[in-house]
Amino acid sequence: MTKAEKWVPYFFLAPALLLIVFFRLLPAFSGFLESLYATSFAAGGVKTFVGLRNFQDVFADPVGLQSIWVTLRFNLIVNPLQIGLALLLALLVNQALRGIDFFRSIYLLPIAISLNVTAIIWGLVLNQYGLMNGLLRVLGLPAQPFLQSPNQALWSIIMMASWVGVAYWALFILAGLQGIPTELYEAAEIDGTGVMQRFMHITLPLLRKVLVFVLVADTVANFLLFVPVLILTSGGPQLSTNTLMFEAYRRGFIFGDFGTSSAMIMLLLGATLAIVAIEFWLLRTSD
Amino acid sequence: MKHRIRYVLLGLLLITAMLAGCTAPVAPQPADQGADQAADAAAAEKTKVTWLMLSEWPGTDDVAADFMADNPDIELVLEKVPFNDLFQQIQIRLSSGSDTPDIVSVDVPLVAGYGVRNWLMPLDDLYSDAEKDDILEAAYAAGSHNGNLIGAPQFTSTQLLFINDDLFEQAGIPVPGPDDRLTYEQIAEMAQQLTQDSDGDGVTDIWGFSWEQTNRIYQLQPMQESLGGQAIGDDGLTVEGVINAQPWVDAYTYYSRAFNDWKFAPPSDSDEPELFAQGKLAMMIAGPWQIQRYSTMNDGAGPGFNWSVSRHPYFEGGEIVTPTGSWHIGINANSKNKEAAMRVVNWFTTSKGAELWWRKASGDFPAQKSVLALFQTDPQFQEGTFAYMKTAADEATVNPVPRALTPGFLEYEQILQTTFSDISTGADVQSSLDTAAQRIQREMDKYR
Amino acid sequence: MTTTVVTRTKTEQEARNLRRRRRLAELLHKLLSYVLLVSILAIVVVPLMWAVAASFTPNEQVFKYVFPFSWRALFPSDPTLEAYVNLFEQRDFGRAIVNTLALSFGSVLIGLLISAMAGFAFAKFEFRGKNLLFVIVLITFMIPVEVIIIPLYILMRDWGWINTWYGLFIPGLANGLVIFMFRQFFADIPQEILDAARVDGASWPRILFQLIIPISLPAIISGALILFLGSWNSFFWPLVVAPAPEFRVVQVAVSLAVQSRQTIWNELMAGAILAAIVPVLLVFPFQRYYVRSIASTGIK
Repeated sequence: MTKAEKWVPYFFLAPALLLIVFFRLLPAFSGFLESLYATSFAAGGVKTFVGLRNFQDVFADPVGLQSIWVTLRFNLIVNPLQIGLALLLALLVNQALRGIDFFRSIYLLPIAISLNVTAIIWGLVLNQYGLMNGLLRVLGLPAQPFLQSPNQALWSIIMMASWVGVAYWALFILAGLQGIPTELYEAAEIDGTGVMQRFMHITLPLLRKVLVFVLVADTVANFLLFVPVLILTSGGPQLSTNTLMFEAYRRGFIFGDFGTSSAMIMLLLGATLAIVAIEFWLLRTSD
Repeated sequence: MKHRIRYVLLGLLLITAMLAGCTAPVAPQPADQGADQAADAAAAEKTKVTWLMLSEWPGTDDVAADFMADNPDIELVLEKVPFNDLFQQIQIRLSSGSDTPDIVSVDVPLVAGYGVRNWLMPLDDLYSDAEKDDILEAAYAAGSHNGNLIGAPQFTSTQLLFINDDLFEQAGIPVPGPDDRLTYEQIAEMAQQLTQDSDGDGVTDIWGFSWEQTNRIYQLQPMQESLGGQAIGDDGLTVEGVINAQPWVDAYTYYSRAFNDWKFAPPSDSDEPELFAQGKLAMMIAGPWQIQRYSTMNDGAGPGFNWSVSRHPYFEGGEIVTPTGSWHIGINANSKNKEAAMRVVNWFTTSKGAELWWRKASGDFPAQKSVLALFQTDPQFQEGTFAYMKTAADEATVNPVPRALTPGFLEYEQILQTTFSDISTGADVQSSLDTAAQRIQREMDKYR
Repeated sequence: MTTTVVTRTKTEQEARNLRRRRRLAELLHKLLSYVLLVSILAIVVVPLMWAVAASFTPNEQVFKYVFPFSWRALFPSDPTLEAYVNLFEQRDFGRAIVNTLALSFGSVLIGLLISAMAGFAFAKFEFRGKNLLFVIVLITFMIPVEVIIIPLYILMRDWGWINTWYGLFIPGLANGLVIFMFRQFFADIPQEILDAARVDGASWPRILFQLIIPISLPAIISGALILFLGSWNSFFWPLVVAPAPEFRVVQVAVSLAVQSRQTIWNELMAGAILAAIVPVLLVFPFQRYYVRSIASTGIK
């Protein structure tokens, strides 16, 4: 590490920390406190301290349990899928092919559209009489219920989230790939190493820091994702897309039950932290 | 030593940059800033009243200007928010005890919920007796909580059965007149006849019947009510044994069959008013705002086929029930400008303001009887399909039954919404209603 | 004599065969790549094409060819500018764009500075509490805005920042994700470079601004992208803290087309496209700057 006067790093850190403390941590602490109270309106809105009861209720409630299960399922699928595809996409567009600039620019378009609008457009694409089924019919395949089926709805959301997610994360991986010196590859080729070996021994190790970032950031983003559910399915059909984050949003902002809502979010936060910790550990380097 | 000075300088630079970035407006000033400042200087005693309302109502700035012409000492500022976000906004701001907005547009079924949270001030002194008499009784009652009026009625609503005359004629079915009232059973029969695959590609493209919005309790409640069902228990909180009782089960069995069995209703993710406009839906229960839409389509030529309306259906042998309820206006209990706010609310919900709003702004049915009567005589509604507005204005007075009066209405409505979606896509009716009852009941507990 | 000639020719033959096989493999590889590229293009582009087409269609015809979908939906037969005109005349879209541009530029500039400094501190220094502080920074971007919105709103109200630029701008500057990203990129910069510069007597600001930042262009651009998009696409926070019409931001303006009884589809699509064009025009040309010359500018 660098030798410097003791206060130098704090100086560099100070503005960011100040902002984070005031505008993220303190309000978050307030939100955490909220999860320890329950409000009763019988007497006009009295808040009573209930300790961990809101947390217990989440597990005691079949809807709560269901949303935990949906969240796990969603994340176990969507994270490896998005990172894997993003890596492949980045590798694909990293080549010096003719016109690659054009392709790259087009692939980045999904990022430019806000998630709200993307969800709405995809809602139309996946409509019973929309683009997707129209294409299927042209190909002679049967029309699919997509968002109207408890079996397909979650996959449809995954597909939609990946349309944006893969492009977004591929961008960062591409930046990382561009930082790997070509000389390394050339030297390896002369030595006679195959494509797979070059990938495993040059690309992946040098991408490690970027992959950690992308993996962690994607995990967090997916745990907290709820806009597509809000716009497209409201947690249905039959609660098959009812992620914990959406249920928390529903309880808080639709039902006005901020105690339960905050408790669910705290649980989500805990789970996210745990997974992120595991990811850091798995991808640890010896520096 | 030298380095340390550089740090201090850099630090000062950073702080200055941040402050500079903060204090100087980062965007060009709005063009009317100059005019505002002059006006402010001149009329410093004006009371500023803010009103949080729907952004989709056109012409509201005009009506606000009319109000301010009548009341020069009040400055009325409209904060407009999209529909999907209005409830959230109200919740965030009123639950934090904020003193703005002063006035809030309240969707009538939420009155009890706001009342129980003490977010709105009582408005019992708002009207003179004459003014109060002019207001639809059902609307006044729906805007009250524990006997106090807290949501002043602005609009009411109703629904009609829209009919594609041409499709009926092609199928050889006589077209009902505007004052006829079909039964759901008759509709089911006709709808099955009318549903067809007209171009032979194996896919249905003409549908028999559906609702404007297939998963809202507003739209569907008349079904179970017609069979003798209740919206909610008498205490305003019990749903167990109410929403999964026989009338509801029967009503939603009909509903389920429409989508899954008889298949005369298009998939529930369709845009039904759009399908009707394209001539692909023979019958649709929808609101009178569609009369305006279909009459003015294609520069007044209409959708390209003959259409008409008839009265809201009912179950054979059951009661005739129509949906009702729309927007009211409430005053923030923490407002600092209560007198001014009351004057605003009174102006907008009595005959002069209500008529101006109706003519210049959103065209919703007013909750004021005197203005509602204008529909029968106004020249706008004598010709062509516009005349159906008279039918609608009359239907609004035929046994309107409001939605459940409960502080937990949002919970009730939202859970039912997903339940109806599930039923329309094939879920079992009884178990869906049972689950809904459980989930809603749990949310209602916090109001006991 | 003859044997040597034969051996040489055989090696040449082998070499030529190897080259031919290599070229074939490369050709196949290229072909596969192009096939993939074009297929992905279709998946990305077709929904967007429909959105563009819809924005130029009169509202009554938007769904004519969508249910069921026919290719005619992608090429409007009656193009009109009514959606765009309405956006600017009735929804004050122009002001929304200006507001959001100002907000986003400011957020990018100051956000980059603050986050790069913090990332630098975490990547290249040892100090007490470093790990704890880093964990805290990480946690902050795991906190969804929904859980902090009410306390944050109350804070804004207490400080008088409702319906002001401060309220819109400052809370958004605290971005743990960008700090994390800078930390990852800076960590890969060899320590020797910094030590050499220190030995030469360079001050810390000089090191950061004249040495580190120029070779971190991909990170700067990624950070700028995250900050810009985060600000440009923000909807919930601006609606809560600054609902007054003069502070309207672009995403709120787009969502005005979604109403209680209907959605004005052509205006929604027009708004979405205009809202998307700005990031596309401003930020995407920068993807060219992910240049391989990074490798030769001195990391080695």
